[in-house]
Amino acid sequence: MTSTLTPPSTTAGPSRVRRVGALARGELRLFLRNRTAVVNSVVLPLLLVGAVPALDLGGDLPLGPQLLTSAVGVTLVFLTYYNLVATFVSRREDLVLQRMRTGELTGPEVLLGTAAPSLLVTLGQVALVAVGVTALGEWSAPVDPVLPLVALLGGMAVVSVLAVASTLFTRTPESAQITTLPLMLASTSLSGLLYPISGFPDTLATVARLLPVTPVIELLQLGLAGRTWDGDVVDAGGAWSAAGLPLAVLAGWLVVGLVAARGFRWAPRR
Amino acid sequence: MHPTAPRPSPAAPTAPAPAVEVHDLRRSYGDFEAVRGISFEVRPGEVFALLGVNGAGKTSALEVLEGLAPAGGGTVRVLGADPVRERSRVRPHLGVLLQSSGLPGDLTVTETLRTWAGTLSDPRPVEEALEQVQLTGRADVRVRSLSGGERRRLDLALALLGRPTVVVLDEPTTGLDPESRRQVWRLVHDLVADGAAVVLTTHHLEEAEELADRVAVLRAGQIVLAGTQAEIAETQPATIRFTLDDDAPQPPLPAAAQVVDRGRRTEWHTRALQPVLAELLAWAAEHRVVLRELEARAASLEQAFLAVAAGTESTPAGSARADSTRAVTAPAA
Repeated sequence: MTSTLTPPSTTAGPSRVRRVGALARGELRLFLRNRTAVVNSVVLPLLLVGAVPALDLGGDLPLGPQLLTSAVGVTLVFLTYYNLVATFVSRREDLVLQRMRTGELTGPEVLLGTAAPSLLVTLGQVALVAVGVTALGEWSAPVDPVLPLVALLGGMAVVSVLAVASTLFTRTPESAQITTLPLMLASTSLSGLLYPISGFPDTLATVARLLPVTPVIELLQLGLAGRTWDGDVVDAGGAWSAAGLPLAVLAGWLVVGLVAARGFRWAPRR
Repeated sequence: MHPTAPRPSPAAPTAPAPAVEVHDLRRSYGDFEAVRGISFEVRPGEVFALLGVNGAGKTSALEVLEGLAPAGGGTVRVLGADPVRERSRVRPHLGVLLQSSGLPGDLTVTETLRTWAGTLSDPRPVEEALEQVQLTGRADVRVRSLSGGERRRLDLALALLGRPTVVVLDEPTTGLDPESRRQVWRLVHDLVADGAAVVLTTHHLEEAEELADRVAVLRAGQIVLAGTQAEIAETQPATIRFTLDDDAPQPPLPAAAQVVDRGRRTEWHTRALQPVLAELLAWAAEHRVVLRELEARAASLEQAFLAVAAGTESTPAGSARADSTRAVTAPAA
């Protein structure tokens, strides 16, 4: 046989979207075959979402926006963030990530494909709650539809990169239960998800507003109900002018997460 | 630089351009220098084997070829491009089998192949890949239920799924039963027949003997021997062994031989096997001495490997190393 040397070229292979999609489909299949993961991902967050308004911890949002805000906050923290840390770590320790890196997928593509089931479930949960809110007759037109979308997608991006960063100090999937606690606790207690930030002392409120999940809650409340973090009622224009700080905080955490994620290890420590 | 340069056509009398070029490669982990300046080239249609004991630096060197780690020093080119910085140019043509790698247990063999194929530029059909590693009968079995050998063969099918022209195999047959090992060998023979350049590591000398056109022995991060199997074997002296009866006279030691072990069994080492043996036989005939259990053997790859790989003996001679360097770089012009 002739021995020809194919000169390297960026061949017209599958587009980035298609090749990430191929990996995502495989991951989704794996996810659906893991019954525990499916139940945990679907049932638990829904229970929590229902529990938040039932706790009635103050705040004066109408039920519809309140449920949706809880849905996004709870899913991002308990489902997206936690699942991603556990998934990335177990894939790393099982040497699956290292193998993925020997193919044509780039590093970020491998992580995105691996994260796909968790990200899809996140979107599904929020959609489910939106349908539920409508069914309860509690749906009200958002003051501004863009801000909640930015909150949801931006929030997914931030917790995803923070999950990648969290694998730096997580050795096993089991230890993810411990290493994810700081962000989970801070996000549930200080983000405005459970208790309104307006009730905090000034210094604590300022610190709380700089945490990664707080801007997501703030933007949702602004967009869905026109409520600022300290309880003022505003229109769409007012919502946008109040959105400056939360948008900046969200972007800031995205950058922090991306920088930290550069230290990601693809293989277990030797 | 290289990538756009016109390459000689396959019909041209000159050897094809190297598919893999490694020059003075170095890698360190903290203070520990795992790879200390190694160089080699691999051409299309050629199998190059890196031999060495565990910890000699084989995997550390391969990781740079595979684009998984940057070189600490020196240069590595795969198809003329840097495997780390020009990853997207190299990857579609590179097949990698890691020494150990994981697969999700809950996908079937076919699903695993299909998922991987979806990420590649030019995948071979899944059925063909299954046949290639003789897993057709196990297509619908979950990876979790495969035997170790079957999983390794699936690993190999994944590495070859993108029709690579450069294939890196890190201990491809470790842990395989003899039959699976032979299957892998056949696959490697097919790959090079189709013009692929193959780099493999192994600590089975039999495997290197079976597959490799050229061999380099790595010790403590350095290549201590390199060349074809014959060239490497030649770095070691040939051996003559015989046993004399108690009342027999001792043969005179030819100038070109050294005595290694003089007891009941005599062992001579020589780099001039034929004349030394002729001299010995002539002496025995003349003195009517019977050389019992007479053996005369040229050096083997194994002997050379054992002599240098573990560092029990220093590199045979400065000239051997120079020879080996020439052997590696000679075809380049």
